[in-house]
Amino acid sequence: MYLYYLPILLGCVALVVALTAKRRTQNVFGMFIGLGALVFAGMLWFEPSIEWVDNILFLVFAGVAIGASGCMVTSRDPVYSALWFALVTLSVCGLFVIQAAAFLAAATTIVYAGAIIVTFLFVIMLARQAGKADYDRRSNQPLFAAAIAFVLLCAMLVYLDNGQVRKGLNKTSPAQLTQLLPIPAGLEPNALSRPASGESFGTMRGLGRSLFGDYLYSVELAGTLLLLAAIAAIAISPKRVGGHL
Amino acid sequence: MTPDLNNYLIVGALLFGLGTFGFLTRRNLILMMLSAELMLHGVSLNLVAFSRHYGHYDGQAFTVFVLTIAACEAGISLALILALYRRRKTLDVHVWHELGEATPSEKLLRGSLTMDSPVAEPELPKLVPTGRVPTLKGEEVKTHA
Repeated sequence: MYLYYLPILLGCVALVVALTAKRRTQNVFGMFIGLGALVFAGMLWFEPSIEWVDNILFLVFAGVAIGASGCMVTSRDPVYSALWFALVTLSVCGLFVIQAAAFLAAATTIVYAGAIIVTFLFVIMLARQAGKADYDRRSNQPLFAAAIAFVLLCAMLVYLDNGQVRKGLNKTSPAQLTQLLPIPAGLEPNALSRPASGESFGTMRGLGRSLFGDYLYSVELAGTLLLLAAIAAIAISPKRVGGHL
Repeated sequence: MTPDLNNYLIVGALLFGLGTFGFLTRRNLILMMLSAELMLHGVSLNLVAFSRHYGHYDGQAFTVFVLTIAACEAGISLALILALYRRRKTLDVHVWHELGEATPSEKLLRGSLTMDSPVAEPELPKLVPTGRVPTLKGEEVKTHA
């Protein structure tokens, strides 16, 4: 039972080792522990579905996403961190595609990898100092943060499995899954957010009907919020004097 | 009804946990914002997985809003970070422990001291000319820096 949480512990150890590494060998050591934790987690937690293509795609995308986010968190160079984050975004978009959210995958790629990452990179390069800055080399209480992340993840996993992990519960049958996560009684889903009859789930048409039907006011609000944020960013950002930041 | 909902929830939880770890440990302001975006990725993965699980578009619609908020947040936070960097030339969070003004001393509060005591000058940006001054035909060109 406790073995179930071992990958989290291993991952936290790997993060701390990679963050506090003084030499390159220690960094490589941390990377190996992290890889081991990933493989171990895949063996322990992964519940294969019937389609083997789905399994392989999921494992590749999830592994790359988690591994790259570990590299992003521990990288000493902020530029590399931003690039690792782009890789995380692309893998998460792959997971979106598997989960029948193709439009969201495209939108996330455009907004994150196209706009946010580029802006972050520009700011990093504007605020770059000669050599690696001290605040990038020495991190802030890595042990403490690893303990917090460990407790948080364990709590989430306990809640996810509801204490019934590996106790003969056949989770691959959809009937039992809905039994685990039922829709609360008396709570009807929004009428326009259901796929129309004869239409498969995951079409752009369906998402558009949901967005501009059930969530029309929210879309308008979100658009206004974007405009306000653009104005605020222009107002806050420092004025240039004589070409110097 | 896909049987692999739990896998996606675990990946989302791991992304969220890694984002938390990054937000707590990194001292670079920009990396803290990036870690927050990582947490948002975990959340949107959860939303999309539940959307597929129940066969409704609600989760995907929420993810669009998460995306919008992330874009707003990134824009405003980067403008703030640039404004902060301009004042102290560093991205270290520790430097920004106190954003307020210095607390007035006891004497000043009791009224036995007036405001003509030395007050710390605000840190104003200094203009520093960069690079070599270009020369034209052997004579120096005046720069207005």
